[in-house]
Amino acid sequence: MSHITFTAKPVTRHIDCRLLLPTLLSGKSMAEISAMRLAADLTVADVFEVSVEADEAHTITFLNTTSAHQYIGFAMTAGQIIVAGDAGDYLGAQLQNGVLICKGNVGARAGDRMRRGMLLIEGNVGEYCGSDMMAGTLGVLGTTGAYLGYGMKRGTLLLAHAPTAQATWIDCGLHKLPFLNILYKSFKRLDTRFAQINSQRVQRLAGDMGGLGKAEMLIIQP
Amino acid sequence: MVINGVDIDDTFAEAFNMRGTRILITAQNLRWAYNAANAMTGFATSVIGCGVEAGIERELTENETPDGRPGLSVLMFAMGSKVLMQQLETRMGQCILTCPTAAAFAGIESEDMISLGKHLRFFGDGHQVSKQIPDANGKLKRYWRIPVMDGEFLTEETTGMVRAIGGGNFLVLGASQAQVLTACEAAIDAMRQLPNVIMPFPGGVVRSGSKVGSKYPKMFASTNDAFCPTLKGVVKSELDPRVESVMEIVVNGLTFEDIAVSMKAGIEAACGLGKDNGILRISAGNYGGKLGQHHFKLRPILSGEVK
Repeated sequence: MSHITFTAKPVTRHIDCRLLLPTLLSGKSMAEISAMRLAADLTVADVFEVSVEADEAHTITFLNTTSAHQYIGFAMTAGQIIVAGDAGDYLGAQLQNGVLICKGNVGARAGDRMRRGMLLIEGNVGEYCGSDMMAGTLGVLGTTGAYLGYGMKRGTLLLAHAPTAQATWIDCGLHKLPFLNILYKSFKRLDTRFAQINSQRVQRLAGDMGGLGKAEMLIIQP
Repeated sequence: MVINGVDIDDTFAEAFNMRGTRILITAQNLRWAYNAANAMTGFATSVIGCGVEAGIERELTENETPDGRPGLSVLMFAMGSKVLMQQLETRMGQCILTCPTAAAFAGIESEDMISLGKHLRFFGDGHQVSKQIPDANGKLKRYWRIPVMDGEFLTEETTGMVRAIGGGNFLVLGASQAQVLTACEAAIDAMRQLPNVIMPFPGGVVRSGSKVGSKYPKMFASTNDAFCPTLKGVVKSELDPRVESVMEIVVNGLTFEDIAVSMKAGIEAACGLGKDNGILRISAGNYGGKLGQHHFKLRPILSGEVK
């Protein structure tokens, strides 16, 4: 197993990062990873400095990324990705499992059709965050854009700030939920500001009532 | 062998293979954890009439529980996996789900995982929520959040089932009922300090030891007349004229070693009162060695030959 670090070079176009997953890169050398094609005319080496270290876990760290870096953690099935900077659209979209942490701001459709795992965003998110999400936990410490949880079926959006009210999300009131203790305990093992959360008191919203309506937003109360 | 003037019989306790599990019960405070655990381990003294034998193993600090609340560890034993699964689900539904603020978690890891809240979740009538959260080792565990009137009932989906042993025992023979009970209380206090064992009978002590069979055809067990003080002279008694009371401590545990260690601690504590306080003999219950797979020989255990 390895810890792979991708240090982004300045770019003038969108970069599709969906191939840069812990399981897909496992066992590959630095040269092999650098030679991988991200598009017909683009290799990893064109847009990232790559370093590989032996590690006990499958971990990837992205440094210096911007909103141009899209699809980071797309359909990830295991391991951990840490995005130290910003991320573009579709961060953690179709996430199947594992942990994806972004310390910066994120574009649109973060966690789109996510099925399992944890997506923790310390910055702000764009519109359609958690759209069509099927399960899993998506946390946002910053602000959220329009159409939050649009078409969301199941799963949890853990929010530090109250989102804009939406007609298809129903207020279920304020609650102290015991499972949050276990969730917060799991955050403590991670390098993220989510590890500092300890309030079990949340406002619960159920939705998206335009669809299945079994998802929830938990807005952390001070 | 004599300890503090108390004779140790050259005999053994005969014990059986069982299936066991451990459940961690937490609640808002220890009072409610005890309410839940006492209900769950109630009417669980003997597999003969109760299906399972269960007891509270020990108290858990907030640092030892998955949800950071005070809790209790419960051990449950049955003669087979099917009965254990049935009884666990029934007791989860009637005793833990119903108890305000209580939550239940797996207390033991095993290749054989059995339902804790896996089926109980349907009480949520479609409103139950599954959460998969990694534990301290990064292993994903599935929890169920079931809406109930006090908020949410939280339970882990499964717990481990392991091979275990039930029926370790020893008998305390003394000059009076009060003295024997005092010795048994001391033994239970010592045994409750040890992990991986429970003493399932009321207060950990049994006064109605049984023998196999009966004069009545429908009864498959009846009073252990050889150890009944009031039948001295009537039946072939095991008691000498000085003995006026006999009580038994039964211990179930996860391994042979766990039971042997707890028997040693219990017998030594009982003998601590000594002959001067009316404790005369320590013996053990067996069926001639033909039924049980495990024999706990008193003298080797007490001399430290068996650990």
